[in-house]
Amino acid sequence: MKTKKAIEETYRLNCFVENRPGVLARIVGLISGRGYNIQTLHVGPTEDGTVSRMRIDVLGTARVVDQIILQLRNCVNVIEVTCRKR
Amino acid sequence: MWRYGGAVVRCGAKALVEGLERAGVEVVFGYPGGNVIDIFDCVRTAKFRFVLGRHEQGCVHMADGYARSLGRPGVALVTSGPGLTNTITGLGAANMDGVPLVLVCGQVPLDEMGTDAFQEADTTGLTRAVSKHNFLVKSADEIPETIAQAFYIATHGKPGVVVIDVPRDCQRAQTAAKYPARVSLRAYHPERFASSAQVNRLARLVNAARRPIIYAGGGVIAAEASADVVALAHKAGIPVVTTMMGIGAIDSDDPLSLGMGGIHGEPAACRALADADLVLALGVRFNDRTAAALPRRQWARIVHVDCDASAINRNVQVGFGIVADVKDLLATVDSRIRPASHDEWVTRCRQTGDEGDCDACATSPKRGYVVPKAVVDSVCRAAKGSLVAVTDVGQHQLWAARYLRHVRPRCFVSSGGMGAMGFGIPAAIGAAIARPDMKVVAFVGDGGAQMTAEELVVAAELGLPVVFVVFANGTLGLVRQMQKADFGSRFFATTMRSPDFVKLAGAYGVRGVRVSDQARLDAAVAKAIRTRAPVLLEVCIDPETLA
Ligand SMILES: Cc1ncc(C[n+]2csc(CCOP(=O)(O)OP(=O)(O)O)c2C)c(N)n1
Repeated sequence: MKTKKAIEETYRLNCFVENRPGVLARIVGLISGRGYNIQTLHVGPTEDGTVSRMRIDVLGTARVVDQIILQLRNCVNVIEVTCRKR
Repeated sequence: MWRYGGAVVRCGAKALVEGLERAGVEVVFGYPGGNVIDIFDCVRTAKFRFVLGRHEQGCVHMADGYARSLGRPGVALVTSGPGLTNTITGLGAANMDGVPLVLVCGQVPLDEMGTDAFQEADTTGLTRAVSKHNFLVKSADEIPETIAQAFYIATHGKPGVVVIDVPRDCQRAQTAAKYPARVSLRAYHPERFASSAQVNRLARLVNAARRPIIYAGGGVIAAEASADVVALAHKAGIPVVTTMMGIGAIDSDDPLSLGMGGIHGEPAACRALADADLVLALGVRFNDRTAAALPRRQWARIVHVDCDASAINRNVQVGFGIVADVKDLLATVDSRIRPASHDEWVTRCRQTGDEGDCDACATSPKRGYVVPKAVVDSVCRAAKGSLVAVTDVGQHQLWAARYLRHVRPRCFVSSGGMGAMGFGIPAAIGAAIARPDMKVVAFVGDGGAQMTAEELVVAAELGLPVVFVVFANGTLGLVRQMQKADFGSRFFATTMRSPDFVKLAGAYGVRGVRVSDQARLDAAVAKAIRTRAPVLLEVCIDPETLA
């Protein structure tokens, strides 16, 4: 339950993911399925053709964003997630 | 293990069935259809047993009950489109409770996908929210490796559901691909170990605590760590409260067992959680039901251990979180724990206060009814410690959770996180197939029983000695109870006509017995449990009884 008002800020998540069908949908679904808005989303290749990079800006409290990161790391095709405040 | 020398070429469907065999599958629950018919043709001669359900939801709950009671992944096999959409509740129930389960489903041929072909459904899209992972196979060559990966993912880290969508053309195409000797996933490395600093801090906290409590959840059962938890409790004198999913982690007669906590739990267990100076939460995920019973001021006193990093600080901001396998961690910390007894605290925890009236445990029932607790007690007595108790969802579930005694690990099977009505009957069938050495008893409401009653015929067909106890109160009891408590008794849509369950059972080939006189309860239950065939006991419960 989101009772306590905490400050919402924009965080930029940098995800390195395996370049496979369905990965983008799972990651977007994981964030939007919990009612959080993705502000911008950028997906592109990396030098390693089997790895894609996703840049996701989300608006949320630090707690919510921490949760999102941990859940992203649980995804089978997610290699690495880093985050910084925008 | 047997080898396929050289490159053995066979069709994808055959490769899939071989893959399931190689993964150690012993039973598959399923339902056929056009887009899995090639796979079924190979299952016909497979080394594993196939159980035909009567509805795909039933098949998945059966696989789930099998997995929970045995500690091995459950497997289901269904067709595309409606076959798949029928599984969604089952998948959600398993995934929410961290049950390892692999679903294989047929799909229209690759070149027809996206054309709204007959019985096409977006399986990966539909199952994403109710699975840990899903695969869409794109060629027959991928099948053996995908099967191996699916079982790895379903059983490593926090267990869960993995779906494999197999287009029909991939089932029919030829492949020489072999089952891999080992699975290595580039991005998925779920093993987590506590640092030695964490282990030392944990030991310090336990050794310094004067009013410690262990709060054991389903993760303890899943990690096969029940004995380790009980050993720690005895060594360090720590009373144990369980969540509903943790029932079975400690014997109810153990002097350190306080029963179930949470909003439906024992008052003594909740008081102990509220008064403790250290709450050692092991394999719990603090969902709203468990978290609500724990006062906020206690949060800082929680040490939370779970294999899922995202479970820590999700709903409750804990003082100290450790991401680790519970069993590993307890083995590591053991040598640093000093023996203690905390006699005074244990005595205080065990004191029963004013628990209020309990009409579910009244000693003398109204005429024409039996008392819920008497039913549960009677089952426990008759099963003599070799009981697998499966429940549906509702008042009867809470009664079972509260009153069952001497439940062993994996022997309380219930849909906790999802609370899916309709779980009980098929899950009990799965459990009976998994544990022929045990007495399987399903506790179901008359509402939930009507959701998956069709599976009764499977118990009859296979001659499974399950006892289905239907708590017939003519109402959707738990919701009616909420209307009574929170809506000024404005009852609506919670009283319903039910079928004559004795006749219904008879129609399915299950012996049905109605018990409306408490004096006859014990004899009826004992006879049902002795019977080497399925029996349905319809027990008449006063609709006014609250849980
Ligand atoms: C599939 C599903 N639909 C609705 C609910 C909401 N619900 C929870 S308990 C309950 C009543 C269950 O009634 P019954 O099966 O008769 O059991 P009782 O509570 O009377 O023991 C309902 C409708 C649910 N848990 N699952």
